[in-house]
Amino acid sequence: MEYNSIIEKIFESGKDSLEEMEVFIENGKEIEIDVFEGELNKYNIAESGGLSLRGISNGKMGYSYTEKIDESSIDLIINDVIENSKYIDSPDKEEIFSGSSKYGEVELYNEDLSNVSLEKKIDFVKALEKEALSLDERVVSVSGCSYGEVEQHRILRNTKGVDLEEKKNIAYCYISVVVKYNEDIKTGSSYIISNDFSDYDYKSLAEEAVEEGLSMLDAKSIESGNYPIIFRNDVFANVLETFVPIFSAENVQKGLSLLKDRIDSEIASPILTLSDDPFIKNGVASRAFDDEGMASKFKKVIDKGTLKTYFHNWKTAKKDGVSSTGNGYRGSYKSSLSIAPTNLYVESGKDSFEDLIKSIDHGLLIIDVQGLHSGANAVSGDYSLSAYGYEIEGGKIKRPVNQITIAGNFYDTLKNVEKVGNDLKFVLPGIGGQVGSPSVKIKSLSVSGE
Amino acid sequence: MINKKIIENVLYAALSTGGDFAEIFVEDKYTTNMKMIGGILEDSISGRDYGVGIRIFNGFNSIYAYTNDSTEENLIKVAKEAALAINLDKKNIVLNLMKNDVKNNNKIITLPRSVEKAKKIEIMKNGYLSAKNYDEVISQVTVSYLDEEQNVLIANSEGLMAEDKRVRTRMAIQSVATKSGEMQIGFSAPGASMGFEFYENMDIEEHGREASRIAKTMIDAEFCPSGKMPVVIHNGFGGVLFHEACGHGLEATSVAKNTSVFSNKLNEKVASSVVTAIDDGTIPNEWGTTNIDDEGTPTRENLLIENGILKGYLVDKLNGRRMDYEPTGSSRRQSYKLPPTSRMNNTYIANGKSTFEEIISNTESGLFAKKLGGGSVNPATGDFNFAVMEGYLIENGKITKPVRGATLIGNGTEVLDKIDMVGNNLKLAQGMCGSVSGLVPVNVGQPTIRVKNLTVGGRKGDE
Repeated sequence: MEYNSIIEKIFESGKDSLEEMEVFIENGKEIEIDVFEGELNKYNIAESGGLSLRGISNGKMGYSYTEKIDESSIDLIINDVIENSKYIDSPDKEEIFSGSSKYGEVELYNEDLSNVSLEKKIDFVKALEKEALSLDERVVSVSGCSYGEVEQHRILRNTKGVDLEEKKNIAYCYISVVVKYNEDIKTGSSYIISNDFSDYDYKSLAEEAVEEGLSMLDAKSIESGNYPIIFRNDVFANVLETFVPIFSAENVQKGLSLLKDRIDSEIASPILTLSDDPFIKNGVASRAFDDEGMASKFKKVIDKGTLKTYFHNWKTAKKDGVSSTGNGYRGSYKSSLSIAPTNLYVESGKDSFEDLIKSIDHGLLIIDVQGLHSGANAVSGDYSLSAYGYEIEGGKIKRPVNQITIAGNFYDTLKNVEKVGNDLKFVLPGIGGQVGSPSVKIKSLSVSGE
Repeated sequence: MINKKIIENVLYAALSTGGDFAEIFVEDKYTTNMKMIGGILEDSISGRDYGVGIRIFNGFNSIYAYTNDSTEENLIKVAKEAALAINLDKKNIVLNLMKNDVKNNNKIITLPRSVEKAKKIEIMKNGYLSAKNYDEVISQVTVSYLDEEQNVLIANSEGLMAEDKRVRTRMAIQSVATKSGEMQIGFSAPGASMGFEFYENMDIEEHGREASRIAKTMIDAEFCPSGKMPVVIHNGFGGVLFHEACGHGLEATSVAKNTSVFSNKLNEKVASSVVTAIDDGTIPNEWGTTNIDDEGTPTRENLLIENGILKGYLVDKLNGRRMDYEPTGSSRRQSYKLPPTSRMNNTYIANGKSTFEEIISNTESGLFAKKLGGGSVNPATGDFNFAVMEGYLIENGKITKPVRGATLIGNGTEVLDKIDMVGNNLKLAQGMCGSVSGLVPVNVGQPTIRVKNLTVGGRKGDE
C-alpha cells in the first residue's frame, strides 16, 4: 500500500490545530502453517496494518490510531488526538523528535525466505511431525506443530523532518509432543527462530522435543530446602525477560523499580554483564532506529556487576539529564510511547554447560518454569515459580524432578550468580525486545517440594 | 457493516475450491485506554480497530485469512487466495443468509463513546486518591482505564447472519507499598459488560482502598512457609484455581486432539463429589458474557461437572466436527486477527453447603489464600501453578498472620479430587484469559473452598 498521499493529507488537515505531528505505520504479512496427523490442519494468511497519529496541541501530546486507513478517517484521528491531549497533566513533556544525525546499518530482511516455496515449508512441518511420532513408541501425540512467518514494515514520519522506514522478516517453527508411559504423561517442546530456512533441521527439532519429554517420565518431587540451582539458558532468559521492567527509566522515575539511585553501583555478581545490541544481523528485535526516530545504540546495562544505565526514551532521558539510549518503543500503532530493550542478553562466560553441572554436589538443573506472568512480581522482584528439571548429585544428572517451586528475589538472584555458561541462546520474543542468556548457576534458592 | 450481497459473494469465493464451510467475521471496535500514575494522567489513546476474517473448513482442517481492507474486490481476492489451500471439486452449496435474532443479555445504558473524557478521568482520580490516602506506606498508585465498543457481524455458509455489540468497561488500580527498601503490590480491577453506568452503581474508592489494603498487609508479611498443607481458597478470584486446573482442559482445543487429561472421560468421576462447575456465557452484564459467540452461536449455560461427574466440554464448530459434539456457544477470539476456538466465558464452582466460618474452624493448620493472582496450566499433563497475592496462616482453626510470596502448584485431576469443603458464598471476579485465540475477558468464580493438601511454594524453609 502506498502511504505518501495519506500522510501528506493528514499533515495538511492537522496543521491548523496541531503544533507538531507524527505518523507511525506498521503493516505486514503473516503466514502460519499447522500440521496435525499428517494433514495441513490450519493455514492462516494475513495482510494488515494500522496507522497512528500523535500530535501536540497546546504543548501536550495526544494519540489516536485507525485500521481503516483512508480519507474518511483523517478528521476522526485528528479530533481524537486533540481530545486525548486535552487532559494530559504530566509535567514531563513528551516531544516529537527531530531525528539523529546518523543511523547505524543492520540487516533485517532475508530475501531468500520468500523464494522457498510454500509446499517446501508445509512438507517441512509434515516431516517434523512424522519424525517426532516415529522416534519412540512412547510419543503418543504431537499437540502442536507449526511454522510461521512475519514480514513487518515500519514507517515513521513527522513534521520535524524524520522520515524513516524499515522492513524485516522473521520465521519460526515449533513442536510440542506428548509422551506417555504407563499412566505417566509428560510433554516436551522445541523451537527455532530464524529467517534463514537453511537453518531449519526437522530431525534435531523433533529429537530435542521428544528427548525432553521422555527424560521427564517418572519425575517426582524433591525434599523442600535450599539448593544450588542451574537455570538452563532459555529458562534464565525467560526469568530475566520478566524482570526487564526494573531497568526502564520510566519505572525508576515513577518509583516502580528498586534500581533508583543505583547507577554505577554494584547490583549483580561481578561475572555478570548484560548488553543490549540492536545491530545483531537478522536479530528479531534488531533495528536501526527506535519508535520515536532516535538512532539505535549498543549499550551495556550491567558491566561486570555494575549498573551502567537504565533504558531511556527521549522523555525520560530529558528528565534525568542524560541522552536517550534509543529504547523508545511502541508495542504497536495502538500503543503510546514507552520503553523496551532490543536484543538484550547476558554475555557468555567461560564455563561449558557440563562444567556447570560438574560444579554441583547436590542441587537442581531447572529446564522449565511456569507462571512467570503471575508468580513473579517485577515491582518487588519476588518470584515463586512452578518448575521442573533434574536432580544433580556428585556433578552428574541423577533423575527428573517435577511438582516443585523455586522461590527467590530477582535482585538477590543477580548477586548470587556464581557461574555463567558459554551457551547463549535467545528465546521466543515477548512484548518488546528479545532476551537471551547462557545457562547460569545460582548459589542457592528456596525449593518447595515434599 | 457490510451488505448481504457482498458477504454472499465473498462466501462463494471462499467455497470455490471445494471447502465445505465458509465464514466471515467483521469487526469494528472503538477503544479508549488511559493511564494515570501518581495522580497524573500520563497516557490517553483511543482508536478504531477494523478488519475482516475469513475462515474456510475442509473436513477437520481450516484456513484463515484476515485483512483491514473491506472493499468487495479485496475481500474476494483474499477469500480466493485462502481457498487456494484446498484443491477439490466445488461443492453444491447454495447460500441463503437469514438475519438471526440475537437475545440481548447485556443491556447497555450509556455508550462510553458518548461520555466526555473529563468524566472518566474524574473517576480515575477518585480511585487514585482513595488508594494513595489509605496509608503513608503507599508510595505509588497506578490507575488504568479501559472502555471498548466492539461491533461484530458474523455470517456463514449455513445461512447464519448475526450481529452483536459488546460494550466493556474496566478500571484497574495498583497500589505499591514501600518499606525498608522493599516493595509489595496490591491490585483491584473491577470490570463489566456495561457502559458508563457501571460507575454509577459501584464505589471505585472501595477498590482503591482494597488495593492499598493488600499492599500494606503484604509489606508487613513474613515469607510463606513451603511444603504440602491444607489450603483454603477464598471466593471470587480464587476461582482461577478451577479455571487453570480444570477449565482449560475442558476446552475442545485440547480435548479434540486427545491431548487433554479430560479427553474421553464424559460421565466419569473427575472430581470430589462436592464439586459442581458451570460455564455460563449469559449472566447479564458480566465481564465474560456475550450474546453470541464469535461463530454466531448463542451463548448458554454449560454444565461442566455435576457432583464430581464430568458432564460436558466447551466446544467450537471446528473441534465439534472432530469430536462429533454440538457447539456450545463457547467459540471466542481476541479480534479478527485470530480464528476463534473454544474458550471459557464465566466459569465457576457452584455453591456448596459449608459456611466460611465452618471451613476455617475445621482447618487445624494451613494456608488461607484470600486473593490469588494469575496462573497457568499445561493441559496435557494437568500441571498448574498460581500465585497467592494475599495469604494468611491458619493456626488452630483461626486465621492468624499474613504471609507473602506463595505459589500453589499441583495437578488438575488430583486437586479436583482433593476439594473436600465447598462454601456457600459464591462470588465472581474479572480476569483476562490468554490462549491460542488471544486474550479474552472472562469471569472466574467460586465460593470459599478447601483443598485437603496442596504444594505451597514459599521462601521460608519447612516449619
